[in-house]
Amino acid sequence: MKNNCRKWKNELLEAALTGATAGGLEEHLLTCAGCAEELAELRAKRERLNALLPLVALGAEPAAGFGARVMAAAESAEETRRGRAWRVWGWSGAIAVMATTIVVGLALQWRTVSTVPESELAGAKKLAKWRAPSDVLLETPGREILWKTPKLGESYLHVSEKSNEEE
Amino acid sequence: MENRNARTEAEECLAGYGERVAENQRRVFHIAYGILGNRADAEDVAQETFLQAYRKYSSLRAADKFRAWVNRIAFRLALNRQRGMRRRLTRETGWHAQGTGDSVDGMSDAEKGVLVERLRNEIEELPEKLRSVLQLSIVEDMDAADVGVVLGIPAGTVRSRLHTARKLLLEAMK
Repeated sequence: MKNNCRKWKNELLEAALTGATAGGLEEHLLTCAGCAEELAELRAKRERLNALLPLVALGAEPAAGFGARVMAAAESAEETRRGRAWRVWGWSGAIAVMATTIVVGLALQWRTVSTVPESELAGAKKLAKWRAPSDVLLETPGREILWKTPKLGESYLHVSEKSNEEE
Repeated sequence: MENRNARTEAEECLAGYGERVAENQRRVFHIAYGILGNRADAEDVAQETFLQAYRKYSSLRAADKFRAWVNRIAFRLALNRQRGMRRRLTRETGWHAQGTGDSVDGMSDAEKGVLVERLRNEIEELPEKLRSVLQLSIVEDMDAADVGVVLGIPAGTVRSRLHTARKLLLEAMK
């Protein structure tokens, strides 16, 4: 293409693609052999492009068993989904039973606490403050002999004598 | 009893779904193949598309809804996969180097294959908006309206972008 024909570049491309010459291109082609040749080349390339473009997408076909494979995968997914659904329901049920048990237990406990009569409550408080009698009150005469096991030859009298001296 | 009903319903659902797969599998495969250029990957994408569609099948029972949905999902899944495996043809094959004439009829399959790969690379070089339109438009059974539904643009815009894309490709073939 000559330098002064560069301005026709877009028109030539359009003419090659659409088959229509516009904007004075037709007159120019009558006088310019270079552009006429360029247009013929572009048209041939368009033919090639038209032939090749579909091959980009249609150059291969799905394998013969493709549909069956898809269906098998869908069936398998359905089985898995169903199994998962049952598991989810099972876990949900177990959790619901546990939650109900806890709630009922807490409610019952609260109810028991809140329904204790005042008189019983006072008695319970007194009982809580009660302390066992001290050891002093539980002292018995001669209890020392229970603290010490006598050696061979000793007698319990020694203990009692000692206690007499103290008295 | 309830369990049996549920099973029958699932079987009916699967049977209906099988019909939908049969109607759409070729187109869905070609959408993926047009982007990926690899049969195994295209089949993977097509299968994944139909599995996703199965999960939503209850809301996609109408044939036209299903068709539009699988077209869109196949296109997106293929683009996602392509991003992960961006491939470039390293062989430099000039458009003029092949064959004696401009027709592809006389070429061997190998020569055609090389040219198609070259064309694929040229398509990848196009701006994304033009590339998407072209990749979907070359799929058999996809008209401008179908392409528009997938890309969310009017059919007129599809035609205009397709024209621009073809012009750029023609220029690149020089």
